Amino acid sequence: MMRDIRAARVAMAALMVTAVGVPLMEAQSATEQGVIAFQQGHYLQASRLLADAVRANPHDEHARTFLALTRAATGHCPEAVSDLTDRFQQSGDPDLARLAGLALAQCLVTQGDTAKAVSIAGQLEARYPDDADVLYQAARVHMRAFNDATRRMFEKTPASYRVNQLSGEIFETENKFAEAAAEYRKAIEKNPRALNLHFRLGRAILLESHSPEALAKAQKEFEAELALNAEDPAAEFQIGQILDAGGRREDALAHFQKALELSPNFPEAALAVGRIRVQDKQYAEAIPLLERVVAAQPRNEAAHYSLMMAYRNSGQMDKARREQQELQKLQHPPEGEFTDFLKRLGEKAPEK
Amino acid sequence: MKAPAFAAALALLAAAAPGPDFRDIGKQAGLTASFPNGGATSKAYIIETTGSGVAFIDYDNDGYLDIFVLSGDGGTNRMYHNDHNGHFTDVTAELGLTSSGWAEGVCAGDYDNDGYTDLFVTYWGQNRLYRNVNGKRFEDVTAKAHLTQDRVRYNTGCAFLDYDGDGHLDLFVANYLKFDFATTPKAGSNPYCFYRGMAVNCGPRGLPFEKNLLYHNKGDGTFEDVSERSGIAKAEGHYSLAVLAEDVNDDGRPDIYVVGDQTAAMLFINQGDGTFSEEAVMRGVAFDENGRELSGMGLASADYNGDGLLDIFRSDFSDERSLLYRNAGNGQFDDVTMAAGLGHNTRFVNWGCAFLDFENSGWKGLVIVTGHVFPEVDRQNIDIHSRDRAILYRNTGKGAFEDISEHAGPAILERHSARGLAIGDIDNDGTLEILANNQNEPPSLWKQSHPAAGHWLLLKLIGSRSNRSAIGARVVLSAGGHTQVDEVRSGGSYLSQSDLRLHFGLGSAVRADSIAVRWPSGQKTVLRDVAADRILTIPEQP
Repeated sequence: MMRDIRAARVAMAALMVTAVGVPLMEAQSATEQGVIAFQQGHYLQASRLLADAVRANPHDEHARTFLALTRAATGHCPEAVSDLTDRFQQSGDPDLARLAGLALAQCLVTQGDTAKAVSIAGQLEARYPDDADVLYQAARVHMRAFNDATRRMFEKTPASYRVNQLSGEIFETENKFAEAAAEYRKAIEKNPRALNLHFRLGRAILLESHSPEALAKAQKEFEAELALNAEDPAAEFQIGQILDAGGRREDALAHFQKALELSPNFPEAALAVGRIRVQDKQYAEAIPLLERVVAAQPRNEAAHYSLMMAYRNSGQMDKARREQQELQKLQHPPEGEFTDFLKRLGEKAPEK
Repeated sequence: MKAPAFAAALALLAAAAPGPDFRDIGKQAGLTASFPNGGATSKAYIIETTGSGVAFIDYDNDGYLDIFVLSGDGGTNRMYHNDHNGHFTDVTAELGLTSSGWAEGVCAGDYDNDGYTDLFVTYWGQNRLYRNVNGKRFEDVTAKAHLTQDRVRYNTGCAFLDYDGDGHLDLFVANYLKFDFATTPKAGSNPYCFYRGMAVNCGPRGLPFEKNLLYHNKGDGTFEDVSERSGIAKAEGHYSLAVLAEDVNDDGRPDIYVVGDQTAAMLFINQGDGTFSEEAVMRGVAFDENGRELSGMGLASADYNGDGLLDIFRSDFSDERSLLYRNAGNGQFDDVTMAAGLGHNTRFVNWGCAFLDFENSGWKGLVIVTGHVFPEVDRQNIDIHSRDRAILYRNTGKGAFEDISEHAGPAILERHSARGLAIGDIDNDGTLEILANNQNEPPSLWKQSHPAAGHWLLLKLIGSRSNRSAIGARVVLSAGGHTQVDEVRSGGSYLSQSDLRLHFGLGSAVRADSIAVRWPSGQKTVLRDVAADRILTIPEQP
């Protein structure tokens, strides 16, 4: 409970900073005084002032919203949820609706109603797609939902191969690839016919090592996946990559082409086929394929680069230069984008 | 192109000869001093990671290669004189080369055309130009030559080249970044200070970029910084490490290729008017095949496929591929790494690299030394190690390479955290040796236990109208129907200098049918019917 209240307070503190549109002029009314008290973190005082304001005028939207936010911030979610839901759904002020939605999602998580919290997070994301607070709250809600579902699975079906599969996937996110592979092997032992386990095992082996031995082991796993599911384009593609790395380009090409047949919109497979066609000077086949990838994925740097090289090698220099420019735009996005921010860090004097 | 008769002869040769068997003779040769280079089990700052280069030069013109090894802070660079008997003697002090500080790279060239090879050593801080005084001592002429600079510069690779064809060697110096102990963040203090979840030393991302430098040799013993005027300084935002100066588009003028850490590589095409145009992306040497920036460490060049064009190999970081760019003509390159069979060794951090014909077959193989920048990686129990073995590829003669690392002698399998690498023939027997700088250890000197099977020629070029070192001279040699091309280069590999003499394996051919030299001056020399298995000095006609 203490942790939930603290989480709510921290969340509300973040909202205060970003509570744009809230009047900050010299406080006149109880509502204004209450909002300022809320913003300063004086929740008891805010609660009293805002309750007075709502009693005086039940239609005071600001007072009702901030009273609910104050209650949420002080751990009184059961009293706050109804008003927060109403304010999130009904408020004509997008800033107030956003604040109410964020607090509502937090409250629902606190109350253990993760399913509803996920729903609210989804609505928030739809209405405020570029809002960092909204995206942060959505990430937390989904993480909570993931943790809840995982706990239930471990409690209710501890012997299931799915427990091992999920454990493997979690180990992968922690870069513990050997442990992940061990879990996938246990899962395969429990359910040898289950799809995707051999694929995940093969991938974990590759993430662990690219030694020739690891490549051979991984290839066996992808082949085992294909034995269960002959039409798995990802497994075909992985085998192609392993063969390519081993210098067996023609064999690799067959697998890349099969992957592309199975999944015509598989960009990596299309790029792999396109590149090999370029190396073989088969530009008439390569260029339309690469153009298709660029059209489908205009932000795909690898596709622009491959197409640039194809145009260059086929003597279409104007088109090659155009692709170079597109690539440059993607690699050096306009100021303000996160990737550029990361890149520009290199130009700053280091902090002490 | 390869002739059938030559290929058949090669096949016979390969069947008869044992494979290469490299042994480390460093200790018995007298290379026993250890060279400090930052922490061995943990590194607090990026300056400890980049290590130092090595050089094979004949400083006293006695016809035998001497060895120069650079040191990190806490030691001195050392020159070892070749005693002509398999042993080297440390002559550092008597030559005036005792030093301190973080030495990074070395390149050689006779910048004053007095007949003795001079040395340029790059540093974090002040670089040093050592003028070779009659092979008897080296004089630090840095200030006199107008080469003093800002102390936070982190200079790395370097190369002498005569970019304007005036017969005087100019100087290119790559710069990694601006580094200062006082202001560089501590390990783990920002997202750029982690590797595989471990807090490690910070950088290069997050540290300020630095520009590369081009100095013009004024011919009076001084240099002038022409980085801005030449267009070199226009290329910003790179963490530059290795330099390859050669004529990539075969127009008779030296170009400059630079790879760097986590940033696109640069290819400066010499415009012939004192300026350069950076064209790496369109020429196909900026990225990998995905258009992705890699961490380029070392550079090597050779005509690996016998088409008369110089191709480029770059060594890269672990989890990246070290790339082979095939020269398709006119200085345009294609990434042929996978097709050439070089795609599988991605667990190593690769550094010094060189093409070398270790069998004298007429086809140059490839050697790479490795070692991780984060010793902390050993705690992870994965197959990436702070000290690791080298990689040796045999050139199949069919446009591809075969990894023979596991079967090429114990030296290749020794585990070191190696950085600089150079190639040279220390005993003039036509079989090449390999020198590597190992962090916090003595250097490695690898020699084969038996001579290479094929015939050979070692060419020493001496310029007259061109620079005396003949740097930039291009040689086309034909023997037994097989034509090879190479160029005299300063710098290269990773911060290192290989033998300035050009080595050619001739396979079963006992004579070279022709040797054509195109000097930097534009002059040409052609020799015909040259007997093999010897060192041949070729002077440029005045």
